[in-house]
Amino acid sequence: MSEAHIIQLPLFIFWAGVALLAGSWWLALWTFKSILRDEHKPQPQRDWSVPTVDTAADGDSPFHHWDVRFKLVALLGFAFLVVATRSPWSALIAIFLAFAAVLLARLPLGRSLRRLLAMSGFLSMFLLVMPLTAAVHPGDTLLVFGGWDWFSFNLRGLQLALAVVGKACAVALLMEPLLATASLARTIEGLTRLGVPEKVGQMILLAYRYTFVFLEEAHRMAVGMQVRGFRRRTSLETLRVMGNFLGMLFVRSFERTHRVYAAMQARGYQGRFPAPFCFKVTVGDWLHASLWLVLGVGLLIFDRLGLG
Amino acid sequence: MHISDGVLPISVTLGTGVASLAVAAWSVRKTASEDLPKVAVMTSAFFVASLINVPLGPTSVHLLIPGLVGILLGPSAFLAILIGLLLQSLLFQFGGITALGANALMMGLPAVVCGLLFSKLRGKTRKRNAIVGGLIGGGGTLLAASILALLLATAGEDFLGVMKLALLAHLPVFVVESLVTGFTVSFLFRVKPELLEQRFGTPPPTDH
Repeated sequence: MSEAHIIQLPLFIFWAGVALLAGSWWLALWTFKSILRDEHKPQPQRDWSVPTVDTAADGDSPFHHWDVRFKLVALLGFAFLVVATRSPWSALIAIFLAFAAVLLARLPLGRSLRRLLAMSGFLSMFLLVMPLTAAVHPGDTLLVFGGWDWFSFNLRGLQLALAVVGKACAVALLMEPLLATASLARTIEGLTRLGVPEKVGQMILLAYRYTFVFLEEAHRMAVGMQVRGFRRRTSLETLRVMGNFLGMLFVRSFERTHRVYAAMQARGYQGRFPAPFCFKVTVGDWLHASLWLVLGVGLLIFDRLGLG
Repeated sequence: MHISDGVLPISVTLGTGVASLAVAAWSVRKTASEDLPKVAVMTSAFFVASLINVPLGPTSVHLLIPGLVGILLGPSAFLAILIGLLLQSLLFQFGGITALGANALMMGLPAVVCGLLFSKLRGKTRKRNAIVGGLIGGGGTLLAASILALLLATAGEDFLGVMKLALLAHLPVFVVESLVTGFTVSFLFRVKPELLEQRFGTPPPTDH
């Protein structure tokens, strides 16, 4: 504790900081939500049992033309390299690169923003907690407000938190260019050719498809419960009803598994899905993949040499 | 709660990735090959179940149900959870793709342990099934939280505060989870007891 730099600040700066944080947080949420709301207006009654991830799969961009196998290896490799960096500055560069990928892939921004929004709660918790709880090392800079000795704001903690948040955002932004620029069946076929067992690939496809069926089913059951007067409260009764609800969902899905499997066999399923995809490797695929990996390695070197 | 990208050091990220691949391979071997499509369909049911919010005072918590997955799927549970987490990063929030291994271990290992314990301890009566199920459901959450704490601890002493907060946040989930799992097991015992047997090979009920 003794060797850390302590900077005493008057109390009003603390309150100004809190107000600034709350304000900007609220503003960011509001902007995100208004963007998302605009995007959703034209479809009031959507069928929830229809999958959504690859709606942009037919687009025309470098990412859509890229061989799936190269895309998977390059972008996943890049993601791991990003995660290996340490400073917030490298994370910031990674965010820029990932955001450039989203723009280049000509994807609707809404879905990427929704991913960030889904993480925002966890990440803002992180940003708030880390500076207050990070261990104090010699050489750290502590901000102490208005003589509250017990309440110190560790700048190194803030730096750590910023790096984590930045890396998480960068990887989340990469997901859309990685997954939404080819149909899921094609992506899975690419994974299979990279060595993932075929059975597991099929399981992913099946699980993906039936998630939407069961979402629709759960939605229908929930509407039925509401019509019968069920209201969710903090009570044992609610939990009992929830337990029955889950039980019913499992019973229905279990029975469905048998029907699905019987139907698959009736259509001649013998452990394989027909895969009408042909992969053709071009020089561009290699170049594009090496570009991302070189960017990733460059970022890591930049990070480790302490330039950031 | 899940670990997001970039929290764990890169060595732990890669290590948990390799470990979860190994456990997943074991889980595939433990599942009869014609049952894999059925496990996949059940995976989506669990995935949907984990999206359900349970009100708790002014906020709500969403169920993690590692215990329930283990109780119903046994050794196949790990595979189901790995695929469920993959779907989560495909479809909804979070990148989470680099932390997939860590998250799969955190949720999947408790599930497998829960399945094993449940098949040993379940007994014959409904009451006993429900109570054992409830305890195991809560225990699964507790075990998941401990693995989370362990993983966060590898990130260094700076993350101890976050770790404590995460453990604290799991306490209410623990209570809710035990009760809901107990009720679900009780319901399944009355309605479809063969689901609690952890076997998929049973022929479908003939409904003509």
